[in-house]
Amino acid sequence: MVRKKILLIGDFNVGKTSLIRRYVDNSFDEKYLTTIGVKISKKCLTIEGLECELLIWDVEGQTPHKRIPHSYLKGASGAIFVADVNRSETIEGIDAHITTFLSINPHSKYVIAYNKADLLTAQQQEMLSLSGDIFLTSAKENLNVERLFITLAKEMLL
Amino acid sequence: MKTTQIILNAILSKRIFEYVLVNRDFQVIQASDGIVRYLNAMPQKGEDVLEYFPEFIGNEEEIRQIFVKRHCLYTLESIYKNEYYVNISIEYCDQETAIILLHNITSIAVTNQRLLQYSNESTLLYHTLQKVVDNQNALVFVANDERIEFANQKFLNYIGVESLEKLRENPFNFYTKIEKTLESYDALFERIQSGKEQVKIGKDTFLIQATLVESTYKLFTLTKITHLSDGMQIDPLTGIYRRGYFDEVLAEFLHKKDTFALAMIDLDNFKKVNDTYGHLAGDKVLKSFVSVIKKHIRKDDFFARWGGEEFMLLLANTPLESAQMKLDRLCEMVAQHPIEEVGRVTASFGFTYSTPEDELDTIIQRADEALYEAKRAGKNCVIFKK
Repeated sequence: MVRKKILLIGDFNVGKTSLIRRYVDNSFDEKYLTTIGVKISKKCLTIEGLECELLIWDVEGQTPHKRIPHSYLKGASGAIFVADVNRSETIEGIDAHITTFLSINPHSKYVIAYNKADLLTAQQQEMLSLSGDIFLTSAKENLNVERLFITLAKEMLL
Repeated sequence: MKTTQIILNAILSKRIFEYVLVNRDFQVIQASDGIVRYLNAMPQKGEDVLEYFPEFIGNEEEIRQIFVKRHCLYTLESIYKNEYYVNISIEYCDQETAIILLHNITSIAVTNQRLLQYSNESTLLYHTLQKVVDNQNALVFVANDERIEFANQKFLNYIGVESLEKLRENPFNFYTKIEKTLESYDALFERIQSGKEQVKIGKDTFLIQATLVESTYKLFTLTKITHLSDGMQIDPLTGIYRRGYFDEVLAEFLHKKDTFALAMIDLDNFKKVNDTYGHLAGDKVLKSFVSVIKKHIRKDDFFARWGGEEFMLLLANTPLESAQMKLDRLCEMVAQHPIEEVGRVTASFGFTYSTPEDELDTIIQRADEALYEAKRAGKNCVIFKK
């Protein structure tokens, strides 16, 4: 079975851990608990007959005072960059995260999640125009979470 | 290996470190008993170590380099394993063996996690409050002694400072804009406490209110009230201020002893335009002229219709040479701007510079004399009079 390391990267409190919990355990907790260091979860999936085990690194969120250690990024086949759709500064920060990640893993694949879509009104959601690799997600309402991971897995495997 | 074993036994006895010995093929050779609490199982000899350490997947090649370079060390910090936080390092032992060392840092990691949680929640709260205050219509700032501790975006935009840090570099930047004689924010606060205060900044009037926050911080709120009377002060044809309001602003500038340039501008041969093309075309010329000037002056400058085809332009905080250059440029722009049906028109500019002794009449008279000279000099030019 193929094993692939993927990371969830983004600023603090954008919902990285919640996306993983929703995808791996199908659970959600309203309470915000800061992640420190790294927690690794595993998830097996089959893409077009190809079995794969995703090793999902839940990386501590970046803060203005603490950068993500490069040692976490090494060896990753893919990444999900997560922003809080309600906090523009977290969206603006995505490009810098991508640049850093690709400088270490130039051939890796990635997708982007604008998370916490449940906090937007239906009208606000409609007004967002998102390009192909950006997903509007909600860990709370299980919106596009599976799709997000599967898209990245396909990008990496096929 | 014997020495290594003794050292390992010593450090393992403190239950801070645990280890797994592995060979070149990432197979388990041996492990310390305590490792089970991190891995939730006891690795057996010959097993694939990657089953227990998924952290290494993706980095196998880098880890193999340990056997090649010998002194190379691979480290991962703050890894959460089975409810513990550990630092994991792999180090060369001999040609066939490397040691994976797990350093239990749970105690310090949990403390760090609590601190980080507190810090992140505070940052979020700060950002939220900042957004709330930034979205107020009023200009808001908090002063402590002579230092501005906080200001909303509207305040920074209004006084033309890009950030709070820049503002702090020159704390007097703002209150000299209110009035030159203001000594301190404390003095302003005391004055506001004794009654409602209005301040004029440039051409805008603000109602200023102050509240004491804790014992030393003073919250100032400036609410713009100019717009209440704007309707009466605006010339309906051109959309710029009228003479009466311009006089008030000019008097205010003179009172505050601000230095500025004052230009009186008159459209050349305007009567001929009216006679040839009619009054509607004349109106079009006036509107077009105003739009050209407005497009090329700053927010701080003050432009008004003085009457008929005569206009006044006050260039605030502009040195004499810059004022001359600016007016020369405006004169050129007017002359180059084509107006439908009428073609090109020109304007004459007479200007002067404020002095501490100036009063309303004296400065206007000098500007008027300069304009007269510009007309005599053949029009479509800028003349300065001391």
